[in-house]
Amino acid sequence: MSWVLQRVDDRLIHGQVLVAWGQRLHPRRIWVVDDATAANVWEKEILAGAAPETDVRVVTVAEMAAAWEAENEAAGGAFLLVRDLGTALALVEAGASVDRFNLGGLHYAPGKTKVNEYIYLDADDRRRARALLARGVSLEVQDVPGARAESLAALDPASAPA
Amino acid sequence: MMPRTAALLVMHSDLANALLRAAEKVYGPVEGLEVLSNDGLSREDLENAIARRVEDWREGGLVLTDFWGGSCHICGVAAARGHGDVVVVTGINLPALLDYFHNRDEYGPLALAERLVRKGRDSIRLHHGQTA
Repeated sequence: MSWVLQRVDDRLIHGQVLVAWGQRLHPRRIWVVDDATAANVWEKEILAGAAPETDVRVVTVAEMAAAWEAENEAAGGAFLLVRDLGTALALVEAGASVDRFNLGGLHYAPGKTKVNEYIYLDADDRRRARALLARGVSLEVQDVPGARAESLAALDPASAPA
Repeated sequence: MMPRTAALLVMHSDLANALLRAAEKVYGPVEGLEVLSNDGLSREDLENAIARRVEDWREGGLVLTDFWGGSCHICGVAAARGHGDVVVVTGINLPALLDYFHNRDEYGPLALAERLVRKGRDSIRLHHGQTA
C-alpha cells in the first residue's frame, strides 16, 4: 500500500504537511483531491510550486476514485489531501477504499463549534463524520506526527454514530 | 522621492510579532509594517486577510513570510495574484528584516525583494569553534 497519510485539512498543502509529515514519511506523490482546485490552473500551479521536489497531482473526486487502486499498488509513498469531510465522504462513496482519515486542520468558520484548537465542526461536518465512521473509516485527530492521535468520536461524541 | 515600499510580515504563530519586536530593539521604533499570524485561520481566511492589505498598496509591496511551502507563503502567492507589483519573499530572518527597514525608501518592490533574499542568505554563516 502506497498511502502513508490520508488527511483532511482545509489548508491542503502547507507547513505541517510538508515539514512535519513530509520529512518523516517522504512521500513521492501528493494527491490533492478537490473539484474546485482541480479546475483552477492558478491554484494547481501554486500547490505544485509549494512542493517542487514532490509530484503534486491535483485531481477531482471522480479522478481520484478511478486512480485509487493503481496508486495503492504503486512504488513509493503517497499523501492524500482533502479540504473537508464532505470531500472525504464523497471520495469514499465514489469507491476509494480509504480505511482512515487523519483530521489535521478544520479551522473556525461561523456556525462551527470547537473540538480542539485546530478542529471546528458544524452539523453537516458531524453528519459526514458519522457516515464515514458507519462505513468503517477511522477518523483520528492529529495535527503533527509528534502529537498523540485521538479518535474524533471520543473527542466529539456528537460525531459518533448512534 | 521614491515612495516607501510597503510590506506585510506574515508568519506562523507569534513569529512575525517577535521578529518585529527584535528588529525594533536593534533598529529603533518603526512604523508602517503590518504583521499577521496564520494562527487559527483556514486557507481561505488567511488568503483574504493578506489580500485585504495588499489591495491597499498603490505602488505594490512585499509579503514577507517565513518558509517556502507554508500556508503564509502559499496564501501570500494566492493573494498577490493579479498584482504584478506585489512580491512574496520567503525565509525572512532578522538580518533580512533589518535590511528592509534600512532600504524601504530606496528601492521598489522587486529590487528590494531581490536585495532581501541576498541579505538573508548571506547572513547565514558558520563560525567554527577553535581549539584552545
